Amino acid sequence: MSLLVQSSSSRLGRTRPEDAVASPRGTRRLAWRGLSILLDRRTLRANLLLLALVLAASLAYLCLGEQILSPADVLAALQGTGDDLSTFVVDALRLPRLGAALATGAAFALAGCLMQTLAANRLATPGIIGIDNGATAFAVASVVGLGVGLAPPAMALAGAATATALTFGLALGGGTQGYRFIVAGIGVGAVFGALTNLLLARVAIDVANAAYPWTVGSLSARPAGAVWTLAVGLAIGLPVAMALGRSLSLMGFSESVARSLGTRLGRRRAQVLSTSVVLTGLAVAVAGPVGMVGLLGPELARHLASKRSVPVLASALSGALIMVLADLAGRLMLSPLEIPVGIVTAVVGGPWLLWILIRPRSHGVA
Amino acid sequence: MNVAACSLEARELTLAHDRTPVVVDLDVRLPAGQVTAIVGPNGCGKSTLLAGLARLHSPQSGHVLLDGNDIVRLPARELARRLALLPQEARAPEGLTVAELIGFGRQPHQSWLRQWSAEDRRVVDEALAAADLHALADRPLESLSGGQRQRAWIAMIIAQQTSLLLLDEPTSALDLGHQLEVFELVRHLADEGRTLAMVLHDLPIACRYADHLVAMREGRVVAAGPPGEVVTRELVRELYGVDCVLMHDPQSGAPILTGLRRIR
Repeated sequence: MSLLVQSSSSRLGRTRPEDAVASPRGTRRLAWRGLSILLDRRTLRANLLLLALVLAASLAYLCLGEQILSPADVLAALQGTGDDLSTFVVDALRLPRLGAALATGAAFALAGCLMQTLAANRLATPGIIGIDNGATAFAVASVVGLGVGLAPPAMALAGAATATALTFGLALGGGTQGYRFIVAGIGVGAVFGALTNLLLARVAIDVANAAYPWTVGSLSARPAGAVWTLAVGLAIGLPVAMALGRSLSLMGFSESVARSLGTRLGRRRAQVLSTSVVLTGLAVAVAGPVGMVGLLGPELARHLASKRSVPVLASALSGALIMVLADLAGRLMLSPLEIPVGIVTAVVGGPWLLWILIRPRSHGVA
Repeated sequence: MNVAACSLEARELTLAHDRTPVVVDLDVRLPAGQVTAIVGPNGCGKSTLLAGLARLHSPQSGHVLLDGNDIVRLPARELARRLALLPQEARAPEGLTVAELIGFGRQPHQSWLRQWSAEDRRVVDEALAAADLHALADRPLESLSGGQRQRAWIAMIIAQQTSLLLLDEPTSALDLGHQLEVFELVRHLADEGRTLAMVLHDLPIACRYADHLVAMREGRVVAAGPPGEVVTRELVRELYGVDCVLMHDPQSGAPILTGLRRIR
């Protein structure tokens, strides 16, 4: 059972055996018996590059801070052979927070990529169409003690689902493709944002102050258990999204083309939407609304990966990278004060959003 | 490429947009191995009929039968292996090359664990050849002329390997030369045994390239048959409110309309 790897590259001037199956240009075909998988070389390279960057950024994340450790100290601490101080800093302080940054970044960006593909619009990320804010409002409601007793992940999920339902309801008739959907979402997001502020205004100032970094997006106040719930969500959501890859590519076609190619579009859309909403809700439960990662992650992924398919894995890796770097910057810039990661990503993402809005329009994903 | 002849017919088909019937109690049959042109004035329901024949529009009542089976009961992929539709103004993701677009036509024949087979490769090659696109295979779709792009889309549905092809206004945005490019390809596909139907708004062009004409008005079929038999002065008047002199093309025998005058 040998795994046959064929390359479509003709640069080396190799002659192919007659019976070999040439794969489309720029892809590698992995074949075994009657089964075959196509790997896009550019996407493969992008994923490897992003993975290397994520690892490097993670190491930097563990090394840098108020207490600066050498990479050797960090590796020793990770292996359980470090001194007490570095073991405490790495294992108790930075590693859990790094895990949260990686998971939330991947989840936000993956959710963003899925929603953009569904709506065929780069603006249609969960952060922009109000899902983040819905999740936040519900989660804050539970934190400030409105007497609703659900755990933050469950509350955030309920909020994300409610905001999505409202956005769909308001955009009724327009479907998910088109500006009506986005405008409805922006409105829903504004209402939930106001609701969050209203909730915070009703409680004692110290409770509101404690909740503040979380409502703008921060990794410093992570509810216990929420990170694990998110990790489980990602462990399910990422493979689901990758399995949906071919259907995702078809969503870039006009609806009638996708349907006449045999896609059960309604079912696929429901799967894409629910994956996106669940990932958003779970990520908000950990870090609050860091919606910009949902815009920046897929953007970076699309830039690096091939245009042939929707860069699902590359989006997740890009999101993790951006989140780790943004939180690292937030921790270091005004040390010992911390800038919430949501503010760092907003400062970077704001100009990017403006560019998307004002750049010359072209066909496809607007 | 050999394909088995295949029949598609609508029986007492009613299609509605938001409860307003657009196609009413309509019976139509696409003759196997021939090119059918569906013609009629704007808003007569011809595009809706095509969408109904391809199951993109569910019937309010009546049936569409593919080889005698109601298409409502066919699984989506199975239907896509037997019937292909090219909608008007089809849109593709940005940055696709011609060969990649055509590869998407293989979608109904592929699965997650069977993403690219020798058969896929062969069929895409044949589709490139049929549409005369080998030289443009690696060019991005956006860089092609209108006629080339339309041929690429048709090549995509050729790669779907269906015996039935439905085209909605395949030449509406093309100039004369590019229109001929597309119609010659359509004829070539029918000569290979496929059944084709296209919605056209241009009656003379329909007469020139179709074997079978279906003339529609207000959601109903007013005439159906070979263009030489069904196209009459009265039909043109009924369809378009236009008076004309009818002649026959000395080369093809197809009807030619001249001396057109709108009737008030």
